[in-house]
Amino acid sequence: MYLTLVIALARLGGVISRITKRGSGVMVTGRVLLKLNPNAVTTLSLGRSMILVSGTNGKSTTTALIHKALSTKADTASNYTGANLFPGIATALAENRSAPLAVLEVDEMVLPWAIGQTKPKVIVLLNLGRDQLDRLSEVRVVAATWKAALVGLPSSCTVLADSDDPFVTWAARDWVNVVWFTSGAVGHIDASTCPECGAVLKWTPDGTSYSCECGFRKPSPEWILRGAQLTGPNNQKIAVVSAIPGNAAISNAARAIITASLLGVPLSDSSAAISKISSVDGRFSALKIGMTNFRLLLSKNPASWRETLATSSLGAKNVLLVVNANTQDGKDTSWLWDVDFTPLKGRNVIVTGDRRLDVSARLTVNEIEHVIAQNEDAAAKLFGALDADLIASYTAFHRLAKGVKR
Amino acid sequence: MTFSIAHLLPELLGTYGDQGNVEILSWRLKQRSISHEIIVVKAGEKVPTHADLYLLGGGEDDAQIAASEILNHGGALRKAHNNGAHFFAVCAGFQLLGSTFPASGNRTIDGLGILAVETVSATPRSVGEIISIPTMNIPMLTGFENHAGQTRYLEELQPLGNVTTGIGNGLDTKVDGVVTDQVVGTYMHGPAFARNPELADWILTRKFGVLDPIEAPIFSALHDERIKSVK
Repeated sequence: MYLTLVIALARLGGVISRITKRGSGVMVTGRVLLKLNPNAVTTLSLGRSMILVSGTNGKSTTTALIHKALSTKADTASNYTGANLFPGIATALAENRSAPLAVLEVDEMVLPWAIGQTKPKVIVLLNLGRDQLDRLSEVRVVAATWKAALVGLPSSCTVLADSDDPFVTWAARDWVNVVWFTSGAVGHIDASTCPECGAVLKWTPDGTSYSCECGFRKPSPEWILRGAQLTGPNNQKIAVVSAIPGNAAISNAARAIITASLLGVPLSDSSAAISKISSVDGRFSALKIGMTNFRLLLSKNPASWRETLATSSLGAKNVLLVVNANTQDGKDTSWLWDVDFTPLKGRNVIVTGDRRLDVSARLTVNEIEHVIAQNEDAAAKLFGALDADLIASYTAFHRLAKGVKR
Repeated sequence: MTFSIAHLLPELLGTYGDQGNVEILSWRLKQRSISHEIIVVKAGEKVPTHADLYLLGGGEDDAQIAASEILNHGGALRKAHNNGAHFFAVCAGFQLLGSTFPASGNRTIDGLGILAVETVSATPRSVGEIISIPTMNIPMLTGFENHAGQTRYLEELQPLGNVTTGIGNGLDTKVDGVVTDQVVGTYMHGPAFARNPELADWILTRKFGVLDPIEAPIFSALHDERIKSVK
C-alpha cells in the first residue's frame, strides 16, 4: 500500500514534468520514486523473473527484441526506450507492476547496482568498447566493475556473454553459470593487451580468436551464429530473421532468441515475434525534412559508426552525417579518426551538426567528396525530393527522432 | 629518396584517433607529390632503426607499459634517435619517451630515456580543450587533452607551447609538451595535426625545408573555430 502511494506521488511528478515541458516524465518519476523509497527497485523486482542487458552498443535494440520475444509467453515490463540509469529502471518497473517478467536495459556503470537491486535470473553482456572517453571510464575499468559485480550473484543466475569480446569474456569467465555466444565478430580495437595480465594479447590472423600466455583465452561458445544461422546445444537451430537492417541487428536478434529460450520460450516463437520489429526507439525510422525522405540511423562511437556505415552502404545514394559534441555525445571528436569512412565513397555526402568542420576535415583526408550544410533543412534542400540516409550522433538523433511518427 | 614514416604500435598507442596524424601527414605529403611510405609497426614486428619520422600515440595503462617494453627491447628507438630520426609523440607516447612514467598500483615504469622528462601521476585527470601559444613561429595550437600523468623537465627544455587554456604538462608549469632538435611531444591527443596543420608542416619542414602551401581552407577553418569555441 505504501509503495502504491509512493508510485502515485512519483507519477504525479512525472506528469508535472510533462505538462511543464521539462521532459517525458520518465526521469522525474523515477527520481521521486527512488527518493521516497530507495529500495523501490528491489521491492518492485520481487517475485518476477528479471533480465538485465548491458554493453556499449546494442542495449536498446537487444532489450526491445527480448521484450518482444518474452511477450509471447507473458506480460513483460521494460525500459527499452533508452532510459537506462537508476530513474529509468525504477520507472519501468513501477509502470508495469503486474508483469511476471521484466527485461531492463542497463547502463554499463549502473549494472552492479542493478544486479544488487534486482537479483536477476539472466544477465546479457553484449560488448565493451571505447565510448566518450572524455567523460566515461576506460574500457578496462568498466570490465573490472562488471567482474566485481558478478562475484555476488546467486548461482541461479545465468550470464549470456559474448565470447568474441575479450573484456566480456574476462568479466564473466569466473562465473559458474555462463552461456557463451559468438557471432563471429572479428578483432577488437581496444583489446590489444590481455585484460588478465596486461601482456600483448595474441589474436589469430583472421581475428576470430584470442589467447594469452597467462592462460586467458576465448572460451568455446555454446551458441554460434554463422550468417543468419543460429545453432545451440542439443542440436537446436534456427534461421534468424530481422526486419532491422545490418549484421548487428542479426546478432542482437540471436541474443534475444537465446535469452528467451533460457526462460522457456521456443526458438521459433521468439524468432517469429522479433522478425516483425523494424525499428527501435526511432532507429531506422522514416523522417521527412523538406522534400527529402530520410531514414534515421544512430551512431555513437567508432564501433557503431563502422557498423552503421556498412549498413548504410546498402541504402540510398544520398547520406547526411550529423555530428554534435555535447556532453551526451562526448565532447572530444578524436574518435572520428578511428573510423574509416571509405564506405561513403561515391555517394552524395553532406555533413552538418555542431562539429561539421571536424567531420569535413576527416572526410577530406579520407578523400570522400562532400558538402557542408548549416543544418538538416539546408541539407534537405540540397538533396531535394530524394531518399537519403541520415546518420546522427546521440543528441542530434534524439532531437530528430522526436519528429518521427511512432 | 622516399620519406619513411614509422607508425609505432597503433594497436597499443592509438586510443584517441592517433591514426589521424599518420593519415594527415601522408595526405599533406601526397598533396605536394612528395614520395613517402608508411611503415606500420605492430607488436611482435621489428622496430626499424632507419625511418625518417616516428609517430607515437596515446594509450591506456597496460598498453603504455607493453609499448615501453617492446620499444625498449634491443634499443631500436634509441638507435633511430642516434641515427637522426625525428619523433612526434602524443600523450602516453610523449610520456614513454621520458625517463619514467606512472602506472596503476603506485608503480613507476622506466621509459626510453630519449627525452629528459619524467611523468608523475596527478589528480584530477586533465580533460578538455587545450590551447597554447607555440614557441615556434606557427599559429596558436589547439587540441583536446585527456591524461592522468603530469610531466616535468629534468633539464632546461623548450616547451611546444605556453598554455592559455587547459593543463598540458601540468605541475603548475603552464606549458605543453616539448621541442628538441628531433622530438616534438605534446598532450594535444589524437589527431593534433587536423586542427594544427602548420604543426604538421613545421615537423616536415625540418626534413624538407620550405614546403609549398596547400589550398585546404577546411583545416584553418577548423583551427579557428576550435580556438573561438573556448574563448
